[in-house]
Amino acid sequence: MVPMSASEPPPDRPSRPAPDLTLRVVVKHHALVRLSHWINLPLLLGLIASGLAIYWAAPVFTHARDPVTGSGDYMTDLGLLLAGLFRDRGGEPWNWVYDHLSLGTRQLAVALRLHWALAYLFMLNGALYVLGLAAGGGWRALLPRPGDVRDGLAMIRYYVGVVPMAIRRRPWPHPPITSKYNALQRAAYFTVPLAGLLVVLSGWAMHKPVQLGWLERLFVSYDGARVVHFAGMVVMGAFVVPHVILVIADGWDTFRSMIVGWSARVRESAHD
Amino acid sequence: MTDPSQQAPEPRPEPAAGAQAGEPPEPEPAPEREAEATSRAEAAEPAPAPEPTAAHQPQPAPEPQPEPAPPPRRPRRGGWLESLAEHPEAVIEVPRRRLAAASRRDFLLFALGTLASAAGAWWLLPGRTRARLLPGPAHDRLDTLAARVGLTSERREGALDRALTFDDDVAEALYSKNHRVRTYDRSAVTPLRNNYDGQTPGPEYLPGWTLSVTGLASGRSERLRIETLLARFAHVEQVTRLVCVEGWSAIAWWGGIRFADFLAAFPPAPGARWAALRSSVNLDGAGRPDPYYVSIDLRTARHPQTLLATHFGGRPLPIGHGAPLRLLVPMKLGLKNIKAVTDIAYTAGEPADYWNERGYSKYDGL
Repeated sequence: MVPMSASEPPPDRPSRPAPDLTLRVVVKHHALVRLSHWINLPLLLGLIASGLAIYWAAPVFTHARDPVTGSGDYMTDLGLLLAGLFRDRGGEPWNWVYDHLSLGTRQLAVALRLHWALAYLFMLNGALYVLGLAAGGGWRALLPRPGDVRDGLAMIRYYVGVVPMAIRRRPWPHPPITSKYNALQRAAYFTVPLAGLLVVLSGWAMHKPVQLGWLERLFVSYDGARVVHFAGMVVMGAFVVPHVILVIADGWDTFRSMIVGWSARVRESAHD
Repeated sequence: MTDPSQQAPEPRPEPAAGAQAGEPPEPEPAPEREAEATSRAEAAEPAPAPEPTAAHQPQPAPEPQPEPAPPPRRPRRGGWLESLAEHPEAVIEVPRRRLAAASRRDFLLFALGTLASAAGAWWLLPGRTRARLLPGPAHDRLDTLAARVGLTSERREGALDRALTFDDDVAEALYSKNHRVRTYDRSAVTPLRNNYDGQTPGPEYLPGWTLSVTGLASGRSERLRIETLLARFAHVEQVTRLVCVEGWSAIAWWGGIRFADFLAAFPPAPGARWAALRSSVNLDGAGRPDPYYVSIDLRTARHPQTLLATHFGGRPLPIGHGAPLRLLVPMKLGLKNIKAVTDIAYTAGEPADYWNERGYSKYDGL
């Protein structure tokens, strides 16, 4: 976005419009950060759907066969639980998770092809994100800093109290924030790219455990990489829920800033 | 800016100096110039000087200070920690029309991207998944629509095949004959399941079993009995991991002859780059003959850890694991480790591969 740069042309340019024709905005996200942010959405959905279809072929988290249900792994247990919860009599309750959150069972070949295709795109997109963070200097806003634990606890206290206090019509001020993100946001926005990196590394460790043997050793063993890969998916999936809720709660300006790159909240020093 | 409980002042000389340099020599700043100075002052976080947001006031009142401003703290640890500190968000003044045009463009791109993602997702999803997501005639209508804009199923298969080929090329580029497969102690051995895709063949084939070899430099074809092979070649052992395309893996103790030794004794014809290995005793799920075949590049076949395995766990191979002779290529996925090999043919062109014809990759290098 050309006009968004902080280094504006020299002030004494004669052709500048009158102030009522201009708007003061806060520069928020670099164009590449915005682009890669949104590309992540379909990519992650596809990677999770195809990844779970691959997981179906050999679940990581298994246990001794349950004599009542006949299930030998936790994903099947979860499927049985959810199918019961939703009173779903459509498909095979055993495969509920795979039928609803993945491409489905018995699709290993197509799931693998899709997973590789999307994984390469995901890595490319991650590179775009890093490039955007570097070009826009946005990475500085993500780094943890002293006082984050205290400030994070203050934010948790605020979030816990915000609904009850609104009901009781009691004032409940937002903790003062002087940076782009509050401590909780920072922790999340720092952790999720890290989880993405771990998912990529553990993916390669599983994919090429011989040629990239050092990477497999980094995750202790082949199965270690599988567990990290799965955990990384859970972390990224778990992040999305509060992320979306808080953006909706925060309003249109915040959502729009991830599309257009600027925020109109100049005076509030944009604390969400 | 308006918040008095600021963080420690950050001595950042550059923008602060800019703001100060912009102020004093200007007795009556023009509004746009003031706005410019504003953005710079905003950038210089704890600048004590004029309230920057009051652009319409000719004489800005000084910001109320709740307590005397502390003297600027000096960075204690050199400067590297400072260089990681977050910069204050830049506030800029943009012409409304330019901002509106840029924002319109970005929203348009966002909408186009959403549309493209939805179309791409529908196109890439396998047919069975689509049928489950959207049963009935709406499914066919969407498919017709997708085909009309060029998103046909043939193109989907082509695109996904290209992704697979690309991944195979990456694997081949990563391959080095100096990379050894990790080996383990015998105590690390784990149970290995018999993953015959169809029925496990009965023992009837064993007495008549021979290994036929074609494509040799001698121009002849050979028929070798297991006793001949065991007597002629050195026996080597290794404990390696077998990794299945399905995601599971198992560590097993193997013994057998090096494929490299076998290749030296029965050299392929000049120009041969591939070995086609075949098991004619393989059966499908209903017990009917279903020959299994894999392609192996000779580079991989000559790797010192590639065996024509004859032993498993210190004993001759059981039928479930491919008696009397199977391929063991631990640098390839399990599906390349063909059981009960009956034919080896050296070829110049790449031979067919059973699972590649069923949508899996061709190279399968780990």
